[in-house]
Amino acid sequence: MRPMKISLREWDARHAELTAAGLAEPSYGGPLSRHAAGGDRRLLKLAFDNSAAALRLWNFLLTEEERLAAARAAGMKIVGAMKDLGTVPVMAYSFPATVAFYPDGAWWLPCFKELSTDLFAIADGLGIDDSFCPVRAMLGAFVSGAHFPRPDLLVASTGATCDDFSAIAQRLQGLGVPILWWEAPHRRPPDPGEEGVELPGGLAAPRAQVEFVRGELVRVREALGALAGTAIDDAALAAGIRAANEIRTVLADLREGVFATPAAPLPSLEMLVAEMLALHFCSDRAEALAVLRDLRDEARARAAAGEGVLPADAVRVFWVNPVADLRVMNLLEDCGGRVCGTEYMICHALDLIPEDVPPMEALARMVLADPMAGSAADRVRRILRDAQRFGAEGLIVSRIPGASHCAWEGAVIAEAAAAAGLPAVEIEVPPVADALRPALRTRIEALVETCRAGGGRAKEEGVGA
Amino acid sequence: MIFMGVDAGSRAIKVVLAGRDGTVIDRGVADQGVDHAARARALAERLLEARGASLRDVEATVATGYARAAIDFATVRITEITCHARGVRAEAPAAASVIEIGGQDSKVLRLHPGGAVRDFAMNDRCAAGTGRFLEVAAQRLEVRLEDLGHLARRSRAPAAISSMCVVFAETEIIGLLAGGAAAADIAAGIEHSIATRVAALAGRMLADPVVFTGGVALVPGMREALQDALGRSVEIAPSPQFTGALGAALLAREDGER
Repeated sequence: MRPMKISLREWDARHAELTAAGLAEPSYGGPLSRHAAGGDRRLLKLAFDNSAAALRLWNFLLTEEERLAAARAAGMKIVGAMKDLGTVPVMAYSFPATVAFYPDGAWWLPCFKELSTDLFAIADGLGIDDSFCPVRAMLGAFVSGAHFPRPDLLVASTGATCDDFSAIAQRLQGLGVPILWWEAPHRRPPDPGEEGVELPGGLAAPRAQVEFVRGELVRVREALGALAGTAIDDAALAAGIRAANEIRTVLADLREGVFATPAAPLPSLEMLVAEMLALHFCSDRAEALAVLRDLRDEARARAAAGEGVLPADAVRVFWVNPVADLRVMNLLEDCGGRVCGTEYMICHALDLIPEDVPPMEALARMVLADPMAGSAADRVRRILRDAQRFGAEGLIVSRIPGASHCAWEGAVIAEAAAAAGLPAVEIEVPPVADALRPALRTRIEALVETCRAGGGRAKEEGVGA
Repeated sequence: MIFMGVDAGSRAIKVVLAGRDGTVIDRGVADQGVDHAARARALAERLLEARGASLRDVEATVATGYARAAIDFATVRITEITCHARGVRAEAPAAASVIEIGGQDSKVLRLHPGGAVRDFAMNDRCAAGTGRFLEVAAQRLEVRLEDLGHLARRSRAPAAISSMCVVFAETEIIGLLAGGAAAADIAAGIEHSIATRVAALAGRMLADPVVFTGGVALVPGMREALQDALGRSVEIAPSPQFTGALGAALLAREDGER
């Protein structure tokens, strides 16, 4: 079957076809429609890639709760990593019989599962209303206990992170859930004469900041050791970093292969889900690597065959910030666009962790490379650099309602893009954006039309039509 | 040969018929309702019948506006951004920027010298800074929408009203009325609030000359309020309510010729 996007219902027939053709599925495999069997209709509204690799990706993603429950039943230690985005899981998976996950990931539950909107109601009842980021769904998930087991250790970064998240996590702690806090300082460039350290992503920070974060991470490492019942040496931690880098390398190959190929070998939605795996490994690091390799190989095969899921003339859009409603990734493609580059606020978790320095210092450097730990100007520089590298024709900044870290930064990014000659539009996407779909469509279509007409500075410079 | 543009806005439907050379043959406006397609069709058929024609005689139809997807007799659908830019290019070729304030959206367009869209900004989902704000205010002040601008002109000291949210602003209007504020001052404060919101949306995007389109441009005092907020001159398009439909008709003609 040629590459295309299909509905959840169409996936049933496609699954039967693949199975009949001898598809060997992992233990969590099966038809995708079973994930909607509980009455949730949200998945029915999404359009999915029709490859076996995408089937594996979605099944892997949608069975994380079962995997965590199995880990608990098997006596493994479960670590809840909150907010740090890509650091604590690298450490946790270096310990034996330990898995880590992000309770923060519950922010997508009300989108994936419409029937899970009670999570917001619980948060409302605890004083965390919709003036906060949708990550407040996490608070509801902790209280309901319906989506993930209570972690044996809960670790949260604070400081130069999301204000909403800190407030929500503090509310959680107030409910009697103990949290090990560690601080991530706001990154600053080294002062003249001050020793500086190079960070992933072409950034720099003072040596003193790196040392401070290293000290904070040592506390986390000790807590993980106490939980696992054994300390690990630097060699074990370095092995954990190598394993994480292996995932990041495959993901980098996947991104380059998909974003650079004219006919989009994979849809934007699957690419978003794939990027998130680099953060959380979906509670199984080894399987996450296998899932991503499958996707990369599928993308390579399609690109080699000149096949894709979108027309080659789809407008190339650089996307900033993750969307709370995944349907919007489908919508971009319905409007004639495609994602050709992303900055989902996790770009530091896509960069390789340095392997030529001691592992704790390497992790500290990665923490400081977090876009949320630095200035909006740093973030803009990376976005514009990557947008140019991937040949973006336009840029979309997707705001998350209530999320304080993107309330104003979005306008800064959009303005900088426009000044650089890249037509840009800001949109706000709530967890279920059905009622806003016409308004979102207008904004996205207008961007696509503007790019097609040679928007930005290109036309003035004689490049456009 | 007839080319048609249909601007199915949130408040009103506008239809423009253009001839082979792009001149406007006729135009009309009707209130928006629940059945967007039926209302637009009725308006289009009325205009066409007056010329002894029917929808079958229309070479191409471009639908624009927030309900464009519902216009089942359209051959092409294009956003208001592109259509307003095309309409302005026809009516004010020198324009470098466009401010369009409609019933539900406000938009700022920066144009290339040739009239194509270089960049744009739109209000977010809040109705502050849109015609809906004026509707809410007119209702509260118990005046007809078309009289609100005349009322505002009698103001001596415009009231300070939030530009952040229509719902909050309505509460403020109630409070101002209870406090004895003059209706004219409240009306002027509302115009100023909308203008302030649009100025914030425009940021540093604008370049002169600036052309004002959309139904709200017909409200007396809005142009002056915008000029105050922007600190620059603003010209109203010749038929601001029809600029989008005109652009759509011209794009239909260009599409039909391809």
